[in-house]
Amino acid sequence: MRFSLGNFIWRIIDFIIAAIFIYAGVLKALDPVQLAHDIDHYKILPWAVGVGLAFYLPWLEIFCGLALIFRLFYRGALSILTALVVVFLVATIAAKVRGLDITCGCFGHASQNWSFPTHLALDLAILVALAALCYCSVARARANASPMPTS
Amino acid sequence: MKFSLPCQALILAGLSLLPGVGQAIYFRDKISWQSPIPPSEMVSVDQAREWGDNTIWIDARPDDQFARDHVPGAILLNEDRWNELLPQFLAVWSPGKKIVVYCSAQSCDLAREVAERLRKEAQLTDVFVLEGGWEAWVKKNRS
Amino acid sequence: MKTNILTLTLSFIFCLTARAELKWEQTAVELHPARGDKQAIGHYKYQNVGKTPVHFKSVHASCGCTAAQSQKDQVGPGEKGEITATFNIGDRTGTQVKTVTVETDEAANQKTVLTLKAIIPQELEISPTFVFWKQGEKPDPKTITVHAGKDFSVKNIKVTSSSPDFQTKVQETGEGQFKVDVRPNETSRLLASTLTIQSENSPKTFYATARITTAPTAPGAPAIQKAPGAPGAPAAPTAPARPPAPGSQTH
Repeated sequence: MRFSLGNFIWRIIDFIIAAIFIYAGVLKALDPVQLAHDIDHYKILPWAVGVGLAFYLPWLEIFCGLALIFRLFYRGALSILTALVVVFLVATIAAKVRGLDITCGCFGHASQNWSFPTHLALDLAILVALAALCYCSVARARANASPMPTS
Repeated sequence: MKFSLPCQALILAGLSLLPGVGQAIYFRDKISWQSPIPPSEMVSVDQAREWGDNTIWIDARPDDQFARDHVPGAILLNEDRWNELLPQFLAVWSPGKKIVVYCSAQSCDLAREVAERLRKEAQLTDVFVLEGGWEAWVKKNRS
Repeated sequence: MKTNILTLTLSFIFCLTARAELKWEQTAVELHPARGDKQAIGHYKYQNVGKTPVHFKSVHASCGCTAAQSQKDQVGPGEKGEITATFNIGDRTGTQVKTVTVETDEAANQKTVLTLKAIIPQELEISPTFVFWKQGEKPDPKTITVHAGKDFSVKNIKVTSSSPDFQTKVQETGEGQFKVDVRPNETSRLLASTLTIQSENSPKTFYATARITTAPTAPGAPAIQKAPGAPGAPAAPTAPARPPAPGSQTH
């Protein structure tokens, strides 16, 4: 891949998004027992489902973040992370519209004191960045697929 | 080798399962899939009975529920009157005793909270929560 | 005929859209009761934004320490109301999370869980709150650590023992941090003391317990029954001293 300012900027965005998800994943992976209890506090999911998520979700975030950094299974990682953020956003907005005051706890115990607008703003920003990365990835794949002009 | 997008997503999802399962195995004594209380801290009615006189039964329910009925010989210790009730319990405790805390049923949190306080504040060991609570004890002993 | 079909269709559509719906202002409340408060009260306001009345089937709390009450049994369309959860703090400490489950006859959402989180200020944190010596054990001092809770400034503490059989010595180990050494005069008798710990500028009293206990009993051996003690009064030993059992546990 040729170096260009555009590519450099996209890589920076890759790294920022990856860092956010790896940070969020590591924070949660350090204490999955506490995470399971935090999920259970809201009594939305059955206990066993909460425990499963507590063990699985942090690692999914970490692996997808690493995939972004090392550009391995890049598009797969982008789609998983986009799906995760969309699910978090939809669940949080739907809950808020129905009058439930729930923050997604994306950053585990660390984000407990964040307000709903803060959570929403961060999730939207991440979603926009992921969408931009997806678009760039598709554009790059198309450019690579189109035949080189022969002289 | 190029993988399609669904393949990539599946591989990542599958790879993430490995450390997740590893952690689930590592933490198996600290968390139970059935209930919020870890297995090492839970005891069944039968197990508690086997300990015989070496067991101190603690009732973590409110005063009125204790007054209505309780495990014979159980000591009331709830968080409503913790400071007043704790010395009565400590008066009958000695090293080596097994402490079994119960509240009304499996789903109530009172026993877990009292057990946690005994472990953290009084730094007692051998503190257990009765699986199924008072309901389970009644079923085993009175039906 | 056409009019009847139209009416039927419109009624059907009306029925589909005419779902009762309770909209909650918030379902999770965080309270910070002041020092000395006996209760923490959470208010959960709602409004019926649907077109049919909503009937409350039940409102119950997860714990006997929380009383939940609904202002009304039935909420008409457009009406507002409130559910109050009163949490009795008692002798609880730290962060307490209690839930109230509300069941209604709404088609879409029959169960709502309201969460009440109370952060109870703890002026002094004491660890451990219980120190003991086995009968016959060397009466070496044991240490209780006392430190000021978050957001509290404690310059000095006073520790009194309810029994002259136990001596206490307080040392300051840092800002708001203290070490209390407790030592029994002897360990041949089953003695007990309630240690009253107070910070100099607060009326609130904290407690710790010091006891001489019997050595671990062998499984199946009859337990010695001791008279229960109460705060401020030493427990009276009721049984003659027993030699410690072989292979006794160390603390």
